Amino acid sequence: MMTSQTAPTLQVCRDCGGGAPVDAHFCPQCTKILSISRHGDYFSFLGLSRKLGIDAADLEQRFRGLSRQFHPDYFFNAPPTERRASLERSSYLNDAYRTLKQPVTRVDYLLQLEGLAARSPEEASKQVPPSLLEEVFALNEELDEIRELRTSGTPVDQLRAKLERARGPIEAKRAAHESQLEDLSARWDALVDRGAPPEERRPVLEALRERVLERNYINNLLAGIERELAGTASVG
Amino acid sequence: MSKVVGIDLGTTNSLVAYVKDGAPVVIRDRSNDALVPSVVSAAEDGTIYVGREAQRRLLTDAARTVYSVKRFMGKGPDDVRQEASLLPFRVSGEPGGVVKIGLGDREFTPPEISAFILRDLKHRAEEFFGSQGEVDNEVDRAVITVPAYFNDAQRTATRDAGRIAGLDVMRIINEPTAASLAYGLDKRHQGLIAVYDLGGGTFDISILKVEDGVFQVLATGGDTHLGGDDIDLLLMHRVLSEVGWSQPAERVQEIRKAVIQAKWDLSEREETELNGKRLTRTEFETMIRPIVDRTLEPCRQAIVDAGLRADQIDEVVLVGGSTRIPLVKHLVGELFGKTPHSELNPDEVVALGAAVQADILVTGNREMLLLDVTPLSLGIETMGGVMSKIIMRNSTIPATGSEMFTTFADNQTAVDIHVLQGERELVADNRSLARFRLRGIPPMPAGMARVQVQFQIDANGILSVTAHELRTDVEQTIEVKPSYGLTDDEVERMLLDSFEHAEADFAARLLIEERNEAESVMLATEKTLRSPDFAEIARQDLAPGEQQRIETALAELKAVIGGNDRDAIHEKTHALNDATRHLAEISMNRSVQAALSGRSVNEI
Repeated sequence: MMTSQTAPTLQVCRDCGGGAPVDAHFCPQCTKILSISRHGDYFSFLGLSRKLGIDAADLEQRFRGLSRQFHPDYFFNAPPTERRASLERSSYLNDAYRTLKQPVTRVDYLLQLEGLAARSPEEASKQVPPSLLEEVFALNEELDEIRELRTSGTPVDQLRAKLERARGPIEAKRAAHESQLEDLSARWDALVDRGAPPEERRPVLEALRERVLERNYINNLLAGIERELAGTASVG
Repeated sequence: MSKVVGIDLGTTNSLVAYVKDGAPVVIRDRSNDALVPSVVSAAEDGTIYVGREAQRRLLTDAARTVYSVKRFMGKGPDDVRQEASLLPFRVSGEPGGVVKIGLGDREFTPPEISAFILRDLKHRAEEFFGSQGEVDNEVDRAVITVPAYFNDAQRTATRDAGRIAGLDVMRIINEPTAASLAYGLDKRHQGLIAVYDLGGGTFDISILKVEDGVFQVLATGGDTHLGGDDIDLLLMHRVLSEVGWSQPAERVQEIRKAVIQAKWDLSEREETELNGKRLTRTEFETMIRPIVDRTLEPCRQAIVDAGLRADQIDEVVLVGGSTRIPLVKHLVGELFGKTPHSELNPDEVVALGAAVQADILVTGNREMLLLDVTPLSLGIETMGGVMSKIIMRNSTIPATGSEMFTTFADNQTAVDIHVLQGERELVADNRSLARFRLRGIPPMPAGMARVQVQFQIDANGILSVTAHELRTDVEQTIEVKPSYGLTDDEVERMLLDSFEHAEADFAARLLIEERNEAESVMLATEKTLRSPDFAEIARQDLAPGEQQRIETALAELKAVIGGNDRDAIHEKTHALNDATRHLAEISMNRSVQAALSGRSVNEI
C-alpha cells in the first residue's frame, strides 16, 4: 500500500502532455478533464485532509459540486478519451463519497490507506479480542442456556427477557468503544492538523485499529442476539 | 439537425416526448392520442401491426398478437413458463437462453417485439416533426426508460431493442427518476421525494433528494413482476371460474378487455358490472388488497435504505396508470402520512422526464443532473456456490468494484468467472448475468497469478468488465456470454432483418393510418345516428333519402375497413365524409344554438 510519504505529486495530461498536480481534476494547460491517475486517495480527491471528523453537509456539497463537473451526462458529445475520463472520475467520486460518508467505512478506509487494514474480514470477526473474552464467554453461556430453554418449551416472553438481559453488558461495551473511537479520532485529527511525524501517528492508528476490530466483533455479537430474538419471535 | 426524443417503453402503453422551447411535450397522433398500446401483431401475410390496430387484433387473431412483452425482456424460458400458459401467444426458447415468442410461423425475441413498438414511436415522432415543417425530421437518438428495479439483463435487452429499431440509445434511465425530473422542473418540488410507480407490469419505489437541480436517488426498490396486469389476472380468474376455464383465445381477450374496463370504472365509481354481475369497489378492493400490500414492503425497505423515516419524506409522487386506483392512493398516503401528488398525468410523466434527459445530453445543459443508483448488488460466484458482493445495491452510478483472482493449478492460463446480481446469499437464488472466461494468463505456479477484474456499472446501470494480470501487466481478453441476452452479432442481424421488412412495415403503417382515419369518421357518424335527437333532425332538416345514403356509405366503409385494400378504404371514407357533411353542419348549428340558449352541449 502506497503511503502519503511516497505518493507522487504530479500527473500527466494525456491530451496535451502537460503536467498537473495529482489532485487536479482538469488539466491546468488545456482545461480537458484528466484521466484518473493510479495515485491519490478519496480524501485528497474530495479536497480533504486525512481527518476522521468530516462535516456531512460540507462533504455532500463537495460531492454535488464535483458531480456537476464530471458527470458523463456532460461529456456526452466529447471525444472518447474525455468520455472515458468522465466515467472514471465520476465512478471514483461516487465510491469516495459513499466510503467517506459513513464513519464506519471512513475509519476502515483510513486504516487501509495507512497500511493497517485487518488481514481479512473473516479473521477480524472470528478472533475474539482479548479485552472481550470475559463478556463473550458469559454471553455464549447465556445463549446456550436460552436455546436449551426454548427446546424445553419455556414461554417466549421469558426467553426474550433473558436475551434482553444478556444484551445489556455487550451494549455497554459498545457504547464504551464508540466513545473511545471518538477520542482516538479526535487525537488523530489533531496529529494531522499539526503535521505530526509518522512515529507519533503510528500508535494512534494502531489503537484505532484495535478498537475497530473489537467494535466489529461486538456488532457481530449483537447481530447474533438479534437473530436469536427473531428466532423466539417466529416460534411465538 | 436530426431530432432526439424520450421514450417510455411501457408494459401496457408506450409514449414518445420531446423538448420544445425548454419544456417537455408528449407527441400525439392525429386523433390526439398520446398512448401507443404496447401490442404487436403479425398477420398471416407477414404484415406487422403495432398499437391500437394490434390491440384490436387481440380479439380476432389472438395467437398472432403479443402484449406485455416487457415482462419477458432479459428473461429465459424457465423464468416465464408459469405465466406464459395464460397468454395467447407461443412462448419457447432453449433452457438457459433467451425467450422466443412465436407469432404464426415467425419467431421473435422480446427485444425484437419491443423494437417494433419503438419503430412505431420513431415514425410517430418523425411524422410529427415533418408536419411541424422541420427540414430534417429524422429521429435517430433516444433516451429510453426502464423500471428502476430492472437488472442488467433487462436493461441490456431494452438497449438492444433500441438498436434493432435503428435508434442510438443515448441513455437508459429509470422510470421513477424520469418522473421526478418532470415534476422537479418547476422547482417547487424540492427536498426528500418518494416516487411510487405502479405500472402495467412493474412496480418501483425510489427515494430522492432534490436540491439545486441535482436529483440524487438515495435508495430504490421494487418488483419487476407486479402491476396492473396482476389485477387483471385476478379479475379474469373470477370471470373464467364463472364461465368455464376452457375458452377460445379470442374470448379470453374479450374477457380481459371487459375486466380492464371494470377496473377503470371502479376508479371512478362505487360499483360496476362484470360478466353481467354487480362488482362493488369494496369487493374489488378486498380482492386486490394483497397485490397492493406487496408494494408496501419495498417502500418501507427503501425508506430504511435511504437512512430515513417515513415522516421525513416531504412529498410523495404517484406514477403509472395503476396509481389511479383509489385503494393504492389511500394506502400509499397512509404509509407516508401525507397525500400523494398526482397533478401530472401519471401515464405521461415518465416520457416527459425522458425527453428532459435527452435534451440535457444533447445540449449539455447543466441546470439539472440525475444521480441514480444500481438497484441490485453485483457479485461473483465463490467457493461453495456463495455469492460474494462487489458493488452494493443503492450505490450511486457510475460505480466500480474490483476483485482479485488467482489460479489453482500450475500453468493454468484461464479462470472462469460467474457474474451475478441480487441480494441473496446463494448463487442459485440470484440472477445469473454472465459467465466470463479470463484467458491469456501467463503460465506460472498455482496461486502466483494476480488477476484484477474490474467491474464498471455505467450511468445506464449496465455492466462492463475488464481484467488485468498484475504481475506481468497483461490485459486479459474477456469473452462475454450473457446469460439471458443477445450477442452483438445477433443484434446486428436483427437490425438488418428489420431493414428487409421495413418496406412491408411501411405499407402496413399507411394501411393502419387509413383505417384509423376511417374509424374515427365511422364512430362520429354512428354517434350522431344514435343520438337522442337524431329522429328530430332527420324529420326537420334532412333531405328525403339522405339518411339512407349515409347508412349505405357507412355500411360500405364497414365492409372494407377490415381488408387490406388501402385505396378502397380511402375512397369509402371520403364517400362517408361527403354523405355526412350536411348532417355534421346541422349538428354543429344545433349545438351552437343550444350553447347560445344556455343549454350545455351535453344535453343535446
